[in-house]
Amino acid sequence: MTHPKTPHVLDARYMESPEPFVKTMEMLDLLKEGEKMLLLLFREPHPLYRALKQNGHAYETELLPDGTFEILISR
Amino acid sequence: MQALMSFESAPPYAAPLRFFLTAPLFAVLAGLLIAFEGADIFVSRWMPAALAVTHLLTLGFMLQMMFGALIQILPVVAGANLPRPLLVATIVHAGLSIGALLLAAGLYFGEPTLLSGAAGLLALTVIVFLAAVLRALIGVPSTSPTIRGLKLAMFALAVVVSLGVLMAQALANGWALPLPVLTDLHAGWGLGGWAGVLLAAIAYVVVPMFQLTPGYPARPSWWYPVAMLVLLLLWSGAVIAGSPGIIRFSQALAALAGLAFAGLTLRLQHKRRRARADVTYRYWQLGLVGSVFALFMLLTAAIWPAAGELQGWTVVFGILLIPGGFLAFIIGMLYKIVPFLTWLHLQNLGQSKVPAPNMNKILPTINMERQMKAYTVAVVLLLAAALQPEWLSRPAGLAFAIACGWLWLNLLGAMRRYAEHKADIEAKLAVILAAR
Repeated sequence: MTHPKTPHVLDARYMESPEPFVKTMEMLDLLKEGEKMLLLLFREPHPLYRALKQNGHAYETELLPDGTFEILISR
Repeated sequence: MQALMSFESAPPYAAPLRFFLTAPLFAVLAGLLIAFEGADIFVSRWMPAALAVTHLLTLGFMLQMMFGALIQILPVVAGANLPRPLLVATIVHAGLSIGALLLAAGLYFGEPTLLSGAAGLLALTVIVFLAAVLRALIGVPSTSPTIRGLKLAMFALAVVVSLGVLMAQALANGWALPLPVLTDLHAGWGLGGWAGVLLAAIAYVVVPMFQLTPGYPARPSWWYPVAMLVLLLLWSGAVIAGSPGIIRFSQALAALAGLAFAGLTLRLQHKRRRARADVTYRYWQLGLVGSVFALFMLLTAAIWPAAGELQGWTVVFGILLIPGGFLAFIIGMLYKIVPFLTWLHLQNLGQSKVPAPNMNKILPTINMERQMKAYTVAVVLLLAAALQPEWLSRPAGLAFAIACGWLWLNLLGAMRRYAEHKADIEAKLAVILAAR
């Protein structure tokens, strides 16, 4: 799955926890310096935000009309 | 689920559990009071016992569960960290439990000292809770409809409690206030503003997460809490201005807003990707059906006030909305939260060296399903008792007490299994560490 914002997309909208968290961390590990990934969820993942901040990843969140939160995370 | 209760931000197990284990006992008490009073309680909502039962359920059960759950999930649904969660939980739990008992007793016996004392204690308790939550939420930007909804719900909580304290003092001191009109407004702020907006704010997160449904569309999610509060403000203004037409107009629109939310949730549930209908899903179906009928009754009475005067109308409305609606939503969520929370604490205790037991072993599905059937029968009996009080009020009260007692036993079982596994894990861990 690709997206105008980045080719690295994780659609976790119908995944059961803790899959979204685990798979995000796995995908981040695979990215090269300067690359970004996009996480799709139906909620804002505050615990993930904390983990991202602790590991020095920047992120931006956008709420789409259908209720999807698009979280663009930098390596 | 992990996202709902990440460990690093989770308060101690004891903080929410004390609320979860106390609340069902209030519902048992409400059921026993119905059984004890018999048919009289269904005569009108103004009967002292009916007022006592209402507050045993709304304060003793609902508010208790809501406070416990919020202490647990604020860090994860809003990124807001409650200061000293165990201390806040201890104070709020004690104040709310004693306050709810005093209030129910004060309403039942018509005793001014009890009413005054209850009002003071409950006001203080809610101030402590609100102060802690506001400290956590202040500076948290409203980046999602959930966060905005939570903030607006807190405002509604302040209003419903202020109105309640005012009315309790008026009853205790014989002040001349238009109590019937104020009671409706108090119920509107409590059930529509506080419980209704809080439920929506939490549903935006937990319905897609627990039931694997699509998300709630963004625009209505942003606007639902705002619309509900604006309508309640309009209703309040109309009470002050003394215009019954505007009161009914705002009630009708509030009912329509509630119906839209319930209808949307039913549609999302219909599109869920989890094939199996688990106990949470079924409890939510019961809650949605109960609320939809109740809201149609509210709408009907707002358009055609004579309906509201019919014998049993308000009592049936209350049964549909409180035990049939809100309690069902809450128990449905509890049956996801408690097993997971227990598992999470055990998992953490094992430090990845000793595994935690399967969640189904902590709270077996069969126990939850049987309790749900008993609860559904009890709600149906309560509704039937409102129409046939002479025959059915006592069996209905007893059935409700049994179903809620069963809920308590299920939760207690989870806690006991937690204690057993905790001891087991600690022993195994000690062996592993000693062998190093």
